[in-house]
Amino acid sequence: MRVAVCAPQVPFVRGGAELMAEDLVAALRARGHEADLVTIPFKWYPGTRVLDQAFLWRLADLTESDGRPIDRVIATKFPAYCVRHPNKVAWVLHQFRQAYDYDRTELGQFDESPEDRATRRAVEQLDAVALAEARKVFATSQNVADRLRRFSEVEATVLPHPPQALRYREAEQEGFVLSVNRLDRAKRIDLLIEAAKRQSSLRVVITGEGPDRERLERLASGLNGQVRFAGRVDADELADLYARSLAVYYAPVDEDFGMVPYEAFLSGKPVITALDAGGPLEVVRDRETGVVVAPEPEAIAQACAYLAANADEAKLWGRAGRAIAERVTWDACVDALLS
Amino acid sequence: MKVAYYSPLPPSRSGIADYSALLLPALRERIEVVTAEPGKRTPAADVALYHVGNDPDAHGWIVDALLKRPGLVVLHEYVLHHLIAGVTIGRRNGRAYLDAMERELGVAGRLLGLGVLDNLLPLLWETQPERFPLAGPVLDRAHGLIVHSAYVADRARAAGYEGPLWRIPHPAWPMTAVPSASDVSGEPLVGCFGFLNMNKRIPELLEAFASFRRDRPGARLLLAGGAAERFDVQRRLERLGLTEGVDRIDYVPEDRMWSLMAACDVLVNLRYPTMGETSGSVIRALSLGKPLVVSDVGWFSELPDDVVLKVPVGDMEVDVLRAALDVATDHGTALGSAARGYVEREHALGKVADRYVEAIEVSAGGDAVRDAVLWRVADAAAAAGISDVSALARELRESGLA
Repeated sequence: MRVAVCAPQVPFVRGGAELMAEDLVAALRARGHEADLVTIPFKWYPGTRVLDQAFLWRLADLTESDGRPIDRVIATKFPAYCVRHPNKVAWVLHQFRQAYDYDRTELGQFDESPEDRATRRAVEQLDAVALAEARKVFATSQNVADRLRRFSEVEATVLPHPPQALRYREAEQEGFVLSVNRLDRAKRIDLLIEAAKRQSSLRVVITGEGPDRERLERLASGLNGQVRFAGRVDADELADLYARSLAVYYAPVDEDFGMVPYEAFLSGKPVITALDAGGPLEVVRDRETGVVVAPEPEAIAQACAYLAANADEAKLWGRAGRAIAERVTWDACVDALLS
Repeated sequence: MKVAYYSPLPPSRSGIADYSALLLPALRERIEVVTAEPGKRTPAADVALYHVGNDPDAHGWIVDALLKRPGLVVLHEYVLHHLIAGVTIGRRNGRAYLDAMERELGVAGRLLGLGVLDNLLPLLWETQPERFPLAGPVLDRAHGLIVHSAYVADRARAAGYEGPLWRIPHPAWPMTAVPSASDVSGEPLVGCFGFLNMNKRIPELLEAFASFRRDRPGARLLLAGGAAERFDVQRRLERLGLTEGVDRIDYVPEDRMWSLMAACDVLVNLRYPTMGETSGSVIRALSLGKPLVVSDVGWFSELPDDVVLKVPVGDMEVDVLRAALDVATDHGTALGSAARGYVEREHALGKVADRYVEAIEVSAGGDAVRDAVLWRVADAAAAAGISDVSALARELRESGLA
């Protein structure tokens, strides 16, 4: 089958969504399909720009390429799923959240002006049109499926995707808590740093880059090396950090899905998350595969201390998580997406 | 975001006043609303919302405001001939009436209008308004249109309205326990609420009920609502030998109406011809979980088949109506339960208010958004030497982007 995987690209930004799209292409190719990644740059601001950018996808003709038909299009997120194709499948990582659950919060982008309100409505309308065209809609988590139903009245089948292919392994833990995430406010890495302030024995390694780095570094100053910013790390180093960590911290605000818990589990590590983290709560279960606490520094500090004091229990929880993560395979995903 | 809200309001006695009294509090929870009043200054707002019905006394001032400032129109019924005649001929502006008739039917319409003005033809709004709805002048000034039924939506589109359109169900009243009136009874008690005239098929109802009562002598019919001037209910009752089986109550206040409805076992709400209107009485009946019989026309036809019993208008009307009364009596519980479920699902007040906010927001800012996107697309096309952007504009429209 000839398959085009459609995903937007934010130049110079790379995260889970980009990895997922690339891994999907690789998985399709590994199973004998001809697959390619189709991307268009995405800039969603200011004002109505988000609509121009979405319109670019409407104009793209992916019915065939180089004189041969494209049998299927798999689109992963807004606005890529606006592309038109008779055999379009949407595998939704997330909608344009600024128009939905982020609206009228500090993470939103639309103000109360008539133009901004109408722009938000146009995104809603575009989603209604684009998702109704799909022959099937999948969501990467129950959380995303719930939002699709709540905001767009779209019924989606939950289909989690496997994490990136790293050399996952278990190793003796070295006592630090690892954060693997893009550094922006919605990821709430500041809570982990604040937790370190409350507990002098807690050591933290923060990987990733992002617009919030400067603020986070300022927050961590004066902590005497308790917090280390590792920046962007390569695959081997990341696998190594996972393997040597005590636990993995992952507590964004109402996250869509989040590959990090799966990666942590495949390394045999428990995950510390928050009650309002959204998608991660589907696999991080309190005292079964990790610790689920209030999104407050004190609660996070206590969770870290508990895991440090009960390393054997932490190991058991991490292994319980691994059993969950190992059930999510590319074979199952490809079968569902091409069925 | 602020919306100027034009509607008759209580104590005005109209279905649309009741509608707004129900909707306004829910709308105010979501958006800033300032209500307009007849004779007062136009309130400052981002967008104006006009409730339009067919009564010139209740809606004439609203149409005046709409003509001055286009906006979002709630078209409660499609046939507006009486309204348009009121705001034209009623104000000695026959020329505007002729314009409206010409907008509808071209030269033939203008000639018909002249016939009316010269007393050569009967008054069309009294004799056959459904043939000449005259919604054009209102549609021409609507930047957005809210309707309650596919029936009205289809006719508005057929009349050439191309703007954004929302089909928003009539909201249901939040249900609390309604005490049944104890001063009415029957086995069963059949109720018919609303203004009594030929349009409500009262002669057909009386005939069917007379037949129904021959088999069920304990049955009684409650007719609640004022009667049209030339509609002699009493004489009809006497002719059908129904003087003992029918109770007549004139206009009743809201609370009393609810308790009377709650006391009924079966409710009937017939209509023909239809002006494309919805019925607050129908929504009330469904909310109460009562088995309901309606005419199979217009908006009433769009109600689900498992929720109401529909009677086609025509030769078999009385016979089918009689059978429907039997079914409604014998299967009232199942029908009532389906009715209540349907109303809770489709007519929930909060859901309706959310849809209104959507329509208001799009109407207020939609043009600016459309212009911005179209301008940038056209600009990019022009830079590439493409001057005709009609195909791009079509793509934008189909995607809901312009």
